[in-house]
Formats: sequence, structure tokens, C-alpha cells
Amino acid sequence: MIEKTGQRWRLRFRTEGLKETLMAWLMLAPAAIGLTIFLIVPFLMAFQLSLTDTRLLSPNPPQFVGLENYRQLLRIHVIWMEPLKDPATGEVQRDEQGQVLYPRPRTILRSDPRYEGLSELAQVHLFGQRFLLAAGDPTFWRGLLNNFYFALVVVPVQSAFALLLAVLVNQKIRGVHLFRALYFMPVVVPMVVVAVIWFFLYNPGVGTINAFLKAVSLGRLGPFNWLGDPRLAFPSIMLLSIWQGVGFQMVIFLAGLQEIPGELYEAAEVDGCNELQKFFYVTLPQLRNTTIFVVVATTILAFQLFTQVHVMTGGGPGEATMTTILHAVREGRYQLRAGYASAITVVFFLIVLAVSIVQRALMREERAIE
Amino acid sequence: MYGKKWILLGLLVVLTLVASACRAMTPTPAPTTAPAQPTPPQPTAAPSEGPVTIDVWFHSGRGGERDALMKIVQRWTDPNIRLNLVELPEGDYNQQVQAAAVAGQLPCLLDFDGPFVYNYVWGGYLIPLDTYFTGDELADFLPSIIAQGTYRDGRLYSLGQFDSGLAIWARKSYLEKAGVRIPTIEKPWTGEEFNAALEALAALPETEYAIDLKMNYAPSAPSEWLTYGFSPVLQSFGADLIDRQTYRTAEGVLNGPQAVAAMTMIQGWFQKGYANPRAATDDCFTSGKCALAWVGHWTANDHIQAVGDDLLLLPMPDFGTGPKTGMGSWNWGITSACKHPEAAAKVLKFILEPENIKTMTDANGAIPARISVFEADKRFAPGGLLHTFVAQLKAGWGVPRPITAAYPTITAAFSTAFRNIADGADVQTELDKAVDKIEADLKANNYYQ
Repeated sequence: MIEKTGQRWRLRFRTEGLKETLMAWLMLAPAAIGLTIFLIVPFLMAFQLSLTDTRLLSPNPPQFVGLENYRQLLRIHVIWMEPLKDPATGEVQRDEQGQVLYPRPRTILRSDPRYEGLSELAQVHLFGQRFLLAAGDPTFWRGLLNNFYFALVVVPVQSAFALLLAVLVNQKIRGVHLFRALYFMPVVVPMVVVAVIWFFLYNPGVGTINAFLKAVSLGRLGPFNWLGDPRLAFPSIMLLSIWQGVGFQMVIFLAGLQEIPGELYEAAEVDGCNELQKFFYVTLPQLRNTTIFVVVATTILAFQLFTQVHVMTGGGPGEATMTTILHAVREGRYQLRAGYASAITVVFFLIVLAVSIVQRALMREERAIE
Repeated sequence: MYGKKWILLGLLVVLTLVASACRAMTPTPAPTTAPAQPTPPQPTAAPSEGPVTIDVWFHSGRGGERDALMKIVQRWTDPNIRLNLVELPEGDYNQQVQAAAVAGQLPCLLDFDGPFVYNYVWGGYLIPLDTYFTGDELADFLPSIIAQGTYRDGRLYSLGQFDSGLAIWARKSYLEKAGVRIPTIEKPWTGEEFNAALEALAALPETEYAIDLKMNYAPSAPSEWLTYGFSPVLQSFGADLIDRQTYRTAEGVLNGPQAVAAMTMIQGWFQKGYANPRAATDDCFTSGKCALAWVGHWTANDHIQAVGDDLLLLPMPDFGTGPKTGMGSWNWGITSACKHPEAAAKVLKFILEPENIKTMTDANGAIPARISVFEADKRFAPGGLLHTFVAQLKAGWGVPRPITAAYPTITAAFSTAFRNIADGADVQTELDKAVDKIEADLKANNYYQ
């Protein structure tokens, strides 16, 4: 009798457990299938492609080339540069200012078959000597450097700006909803559209930004060639990216702000805090988890930088706005080197993964302090 | 236990999906058969099969080209062949066609910009047209059009409705006001004269810039305009895009002293403010803010409308080794994926009928590809506004773009260098980079043997 009841109970438990597992799988399925089809499988295929010399449109069948693509991508040589010498006297040649003259990097790289496939990445002075840094793919390094530069500037600036906006639109004043909507609007506009509009705003001839600067400075400022000047192009891209993305972070911060219990502020007031102290000792600590999320999300978005530069500058002028993703797309789509482009994406994936892991590790530590 | 089974089942479902996704995503391998084999004439679709549909892709061009093609297609009356017209934006047209080729989704009939035909032939994506056209039919086409479509074993792979014209549009009143001599085919501007003219025209109070180099076509590289429009300057300086003897190297040709001199001069035009390297709008010449416009035939009607009787079409300057101009234009080919090549050839023949060519060239100002159409067009006769285009080609100034399957890489490398040089980059460095890119590509493709 007792046994029977027990069995029945166990049976019910089993069916419920089964139902739960089934539900869990059902709930998981859309994300799992999506991730598998659109992320895991393409990544595995990219890895497979990266080991071949697959070229689109080519009548030659793809060949397995092992790690050759990776070798070309990551190859870096440091070459000591010998100063130019006068053939007659054997003396080091100097220009009018007394600077030592060196041969052109390309002459050095073309003189030795060991250097085949290398191009100049940079020249460095060390201990009074000059060294040539030559890489198999200087554009890749330039793009990677730009990605980090972009993340380093955009992540803190955009997050801080978003917090400022969030605090502003969190005020209990009339018409604040209008401002919230206005600040959020650029997020809803597709990046391609934003890029095209800003392309015209930045134009040195007919652009609004130059006209504005000229007007407020009474003709003393500009015209600036925003996208054509190598020094201005990347900051210009950063500015529009921050403008486009800031609304999204603002909304997240806003949600965080509204979670903070009012009692904390009342207590702070009782303790005699001024507004600034309230912000630094109540608001900021309370927003820590929100901030972590914003920083991680912005970092990942920053590394995906592509649309703006593809539409507005194509990586130029020179390689001032080149990014890794843009480089991969160019190699794959314009140079038709599908194998090599895949190698770029695999390496880039590993780098972004490493950045994410480091970030996560740092943030866990913060939590541990709590 | 049940849980495990469900996990297994779930995994199985996922794996099946993955497997099918894999199969769907594997790119169709490029046809590896030799493309030069003549296609054996296949029996035409029996009437009982009903009408066949021919997919036609074309670039939505500038000027009235699109409207003209629409008009032409509306004249099509054959009930047995239905046309399915797909229009793709010009900016990324070549990339879209390439993507379709890789995916095995090419249409029957499509157009492509001039020298891209050789790469498609090399890849085995086009079939020869000479089996569908008789010698008499082909005799009516301009020699430059036949030359453009001929590759591999001397077979014809493409035909166009028109050839292009590249020259300098001018406002006569501006030239007279600045005291600039009006050049002729017999006595074109020298390089010095041209540079002096730019300086004088830039100084006019009416102008913002002396010349519109249509940099708005190329906000970023690669861009076919930069190669088409400005490789004639290289050639007039005695340089070129690639060594045309061997088609195996560009060293010393694209980065030699003549090429550096040519590109340094062009960079000077931007730096001295004669031309806008970052033009955003298309109307500098038509609005009167530019005295000259360095651009092809496709702007003809816009210019005639805006400038009227003040409009001149001037021949290209001589920068040292004789004046040079561009040639070649959009042309049509039939793909090897086409199931009904005869029907496609019928459609192509229709597009190339004199009446239809005239509709197109009336709209875009290009040189009609058929001699009969071209001779009947008064605009190209001596004294006609567009006569300069014809006179330049007759004088032998036209230089075809490199006839090689490496062309897509060559144009990408050169136009990227041009874009950067216009923005102020070091000329020698940029040209060296372009040469390195071209050579790496040639090597990687075994010189497109």
C-alpha cells in the first residue's frame, strides 16, 4: 500500500520532470538553433576555408595550404637598416640637415628573397639605429590598431556621455519624455542611413558642420576636410558613432537609475550630502552592474566597427580608418580571397574572445569585493 | 533517464539542421571545364513547352540609361520568350555579379563594365557569342567593340550597345574670359597649357573650382571611374597600369618616374584647389561653379540642358607622349549557366538592333556601337557637339583598359592609390603598394594562365 503510493508519486514526479526538461529544451531551441546555424557552423566553415587558398570565381580548384594564410597574416620581421654610404669614400650619406640617409624600405625588401611578400609596417629608432618593421599584411595590423584605438576612446566617452544624458532625462520636469525620445532616435535609424547623412554633414564644400563652425567663429575656423584628412577622419567616424549609439546606453542607464531606491537619497540628504556627493556616493555605486553591462556591450560593438567606414571612407584616406572587419571584407569580396579573408576573421575572433575573457575576469573581481 | 534521451533527441535535431544548413551553404564550385568550347547548338525549346523566361541583369546607370533600356524592353514582342529584368545598383554591381556567380545564381543575360569580361571568361562563366552572330552582322560593329569582347583563343564573348567617350566639357564664355586658348584635335592643349588654364580658370570670380573631376563618383575606392577616367593621364605621360607585353608585372610601369610625375601633377590639382577631392554633389559644372568637367559621354544630355550654346567638348590634353583617352564601356554577355542560350542570343540581338541602340545613345550620349547608327547620328558628324569623342578615337588616342583576367585587381589597386593620392598621400609609396598588390594577385593566380 505504502509502496504503491510511493510508486505513483515517483511516476508523477518523473512525468513532471520530463515535462520540465522538454520545456527547457523547447525554450532553448530557438536560440540554440540560431546560434548553431548562424554562429558556430559559419565559424567552423571559416576555419576550414582558412586552411585553403579558396578564391571566389577562380576556375582553379581550392588547395589545402595548411597554415600558410596565418603565416602571411601574422608574419613580422625586424630588419636593421644600414645607412646609405657614399660608394667612393665609404662615408655615411647625410642630407642638408645632417640627418643620416637610409635606403627606401621597398629597396631593402626587394633585395632579399627571404623578405618576399613583406611590406613596410613602420620604422623605429632604437639606440641610434634605425629598424624596419616589415609585415606580411601591414593593413591587418593597422586595422587591429584602429579597432583598439576606437574601443579605447569610444567606450569611456560614450558610456560617460550616456550616463550624463540619463541623469538629465531622469529629472522630473515637464517634456522630459520628448528629450528621451529625441536622444534615443538615432539608435532607431539604421547605421547606413546615419553614415550617408553624416557623409554630407562632413563635406568640406556643402557640409553643415563646416558652415556652422564658420558661422560661430566668424570665418576663422575651417573649412575642415573631415573625412579626407588622415588626422581628422577617424575622430570624425568616432564622433558619429558615439552620437548614433549613445541613446541605447542612455536607456540602460536610465533603467538603472530608476531602480535606485529613493530612501538612499533621503538618507544621504539627512547625512548632509550635496548633489555632487549624492551622485558619486549613491548613484555611481548603485549603477555598478549597469555600468559593467554597458562597458562590455559597447566594447563588443566597438570591435564590430564596419558600416560607417565602409560607407563613408572605405578605410581611407590611406589606411586612417581601416578596421579589421573592413579589411576581411575587402580581401574576401573585392580581392576574392575567401581563404585568406577567413583566416583574418578567425584570428580576429580569437582576439575579441581574449578581450572579452579579460574583461569578464576583471569584473568578477569587482563583484568579489562586494 | 528520460532526460538523457531528450537531450540526445534534441542534439540529433540540431545536428540534422546543421547538416542541412551545411549542405545549403556549401558554395557551388566554379565550373572547371574549359570555357572556350563552342556550345553545341541545342534544339530550341519546343512550342509545346510554352514560353521560356530569360533573366536579364543590368546596372542602373547614370543619365537616362535605365529609362532607355526600359523603353527598349517594352518593344519586345516575342510571346515565346518572357523577359525578367533585374536592375542592380551600379556602385557594387560587379561584387553582386561575382557573388551570384559563386553561388551559381547568374542570370542568362547580363551586362558588365568593359574589361571585367576577361575575368568572367577566365572563370568560365561566359559562353562565346560568335556561334550566334554571323560575320555580316558583326561587320556593322565598331572595331573597338569587337576588340573589347574578344579574349581567349580570339573568340567573342561580349557585345555592347555603345563605346564610351572621355573628354573635357567646357563653358566657352569662361575660357574666353580667362583668356584660355580653345584646343583642337590637331592642336590639343599641352600639359603646361592645361595646367596654366586650370590656374586661370580657378582665379575666375564665377568659379569655386577650375575643373570637376567627378570625385563624387568615388567617395571611397575601389572605383571604376578613377581607373577609366585617369589612367589616360598615366598613358599620356608614358606610363601604364601594367606591362602590356607580358601582363606579368607592373613594376617600373605603374610606379616608374613617368607614373610618379603624372600622379604628382594630379595631386597638385587638388592641393592647389583647382579640383575638389571630396566633391559631394554632381552639379559643379552644370551650376557654373566649375569651368571644366573631366567626364565621360554619360553626362552629355545633362550638360546640353544646363549649359546650352555655351557648351564645348574639348579633346584630352597631351602630357608628353601624345593625348590619350579612355574607351570601352558596358557590354553584354551570355552566361554558361543559361539553359536557353539561343533565346538569350535572340534577346541580345534585339537589344543590339540599330533602332534600340539609337534609343540608348540618344539618351546617354555614347558612341553607337554599330557603324550604321553612328554614321546617321548628326551629333557625331564633323561640327556636331559630340564629334570630339569620335575624332579622338579616329586619331588613335583611345587606350583600352588592360586586356587581362587580372583586371579587377588592377583597377582596385590603382583606384585605391588614386583615392589616397587625391587625399594627400605620398605618390611613390601609394603606387608601390598598388604594384605589390597587383603582383601578389598575379602570382597567387598563376598569372591567370
